Amino acid sequence: MITATPETGLIGLVVLFALLLAGAPIGVSLGLVGIVGLAVVLGPGAALTKSGVIAFDTLTRYELGTLPLFMLMAQLFFAANASRDLFDAAAKFVGHRRGGLAYASILGCAGFGAVNGSSLATAATIGLVALPEMRQRGYSDALATGTVAAGGTLGQMLPPSGALIVFGIIAEQSIGKLFTATLVPGISQMLFYCLVVWLLTRWRPDLAPAMARASWGERWRALGKIGDMLGLIALVLGGIAMGWFSPSEASSVGTAGALAITAWRRRLSLSVLFRAFEEALRTSGLIFLVIIGALIFSVFISVTGLTEAVGHLVAAMGLGKHGTLFVMTVFLLLLGSVLDGLALMLLTTPILLPIVVGLGLSPIWFGIFIVRAMEIGFVHPPLGMNLYVIQGVAKDVSITRIFKGVMPFLASDLVHLTLIILFPAIALWLPALLGQ
Amino acid sequence: MTRVLVWIGGGALVFATVINTLGVIGRHVGVPIHGVIELVQVGVLVAGSIALVLATAAGSHAKVNLVLDRLSDTGRRWFQCGALLASAAFFAALLAGSGWIAADLWHAQEVSEVLNIPWQLLRLLAIAALAGALGIVVHHALRRRN
Repeated sequence: MITATPETGLIGLVVLFALLLAGAPIGVSLGLVGIVGLAVVLGPGAALTKSGVIAFDTLTRYELGTLPLFMLMAQLFFAANASRDLFDAAAKFVGHRRGGLAYASILGCAGFGAVNGSSLATAATIGLVALPEMRQRGYSDALATGTVAAGGTLGQMLPPSGALIVFGIIAEQSIGKLFTATLVPGISQMLFYCLVVWLLTRWRPDLAPAMARASWGERWRALGKIGDMLGLIALVLGGIAMGWFSPSEASSVGTAGALAITAWRRRLSLSVLFRAFEEALRTSGLIFLVIIGALIFSVFISVTGLTEAVGHLVAAMGLGKHGTLFVMTVFLLLLGSVLDGLALMLLTTPILLPIVVGLGLSPIWFGIFIVRAMEIGFVHPPLGMNLYVIQGVAKDVSITRIFKGVMPFLASDLVHLTLIILFPAIALWLPALLGQ
Repeated sequence: MTRVLVWIGGGALVFATVINTLGVIGRHVGVPIHGVIELVQVGVLVAGSIALVLATAAGSHAKVNLVLDRLSDTGRRWFQCGALLASAAFFAALLAGSGWIAADLWHAQEVSEVLNIPWQLLRLLAIAALAGALGIVVHHALRRRN
């Protein structure tokens, strides 16, 4: 057996990075490095039993039900045509303004993100509805694709965010508090995107021509079509924020409501139910494996003392709170260029969270910060998954053009992230106000 | 087989939904239902175990494709083979660890606190799911070799 030292942890980290880049599944890479590392420092027996305990405890965690249930809710809403209805309603209200359909796309992304919790799914579904509409009305390809690619990231920044659920589980933080804390950053991110569209269309009016104004009758009809969904979203999010129910209970109430709404809209059939079950289970399965792997890996990292060593190193550098956070942000953004968002979060949380807590910052704030940083990775090259998703929808638009379109939104993302660092109250004010 | 698993897993999710929702309603109208958390845990375990198997069968586990996408076909095949071996090793380790714990606790009469749900059965279910996932990965690896 080898003595557990920070160096052992560092070697584990390097091996993990190599496995990830070699294309091994994220959960498998995390878990395997964790088990082998624990076997090296504690012995094979301890490593195997610890991993067995973590696997069973994870699969029986009450809070873990939140994830598949919110996913089932999203799938049911998808079957009920939620993305089309949300975009249509937003387009009726703001479509007549210059850049109105771009605003509608952002609002549609926010609305669908609030039932979905996934950036890629939000970008893909709203993209399918909004992109053809915008391009048909003469919107610039770059603006149209950039808006939806960036708007898609709202899926993870608005509750019920899948990334925040995973963070809450691995960092042992209240998921309800994380959901409440992300409301202001999520909404302000949405407003930042609207501001970008406003500035772009003022600077170059030809980017997005204005449309005919919808009558108030049409507007109310469109709003009526999404009233049931908005009511359910308000109940789910409001219920968590007000403490009427836990996030896990909220996911059940949301799913029950989504089942009722889909049935009420006469869109619930056995085939729809089967597809919804299949998608929700398959996506949950891959996230469960990642969580099991991440928990084993974080035990290994904490046993080696790597976190404390990095913490001492950071303290010795004397960068101060903001300097440390700045370095951390640059590190996360650089790492986000080669690692997928989930891997980035799971790899760095066990190491960075204790440092952040040592700086006197709240773990809840860190959850919002890391998800926000991770979201930027979804729209910046070379990975920029949302950009590729959008290219899958608008196949004739080059990836370079989509990237050009997302650049102004990326700039606004960096400003927004800086504000979250400088003013942690953006995330922490609402939970404190609600006494969470 | 996949269809059956999807219906069972989906049924477990609906079960958890109904129990949890009734629990919320019951609490707010002053008729609390006991053991809700334990029943939801059972639903989550059934759905989660099946979800693991379905995600493995579909080969949909999240991975980083940055390097893979830039390799030649032969290089990519080698790396994919390595990824399958790593997955098999991980599932085998989880299976061994879970089996070890289950064997150790087999005679301990482990039951839940409120409803006395026997955890032995749930452990067996998790073990079966891990064995299933391992079997699927090994099957994928053998198919790739042939």
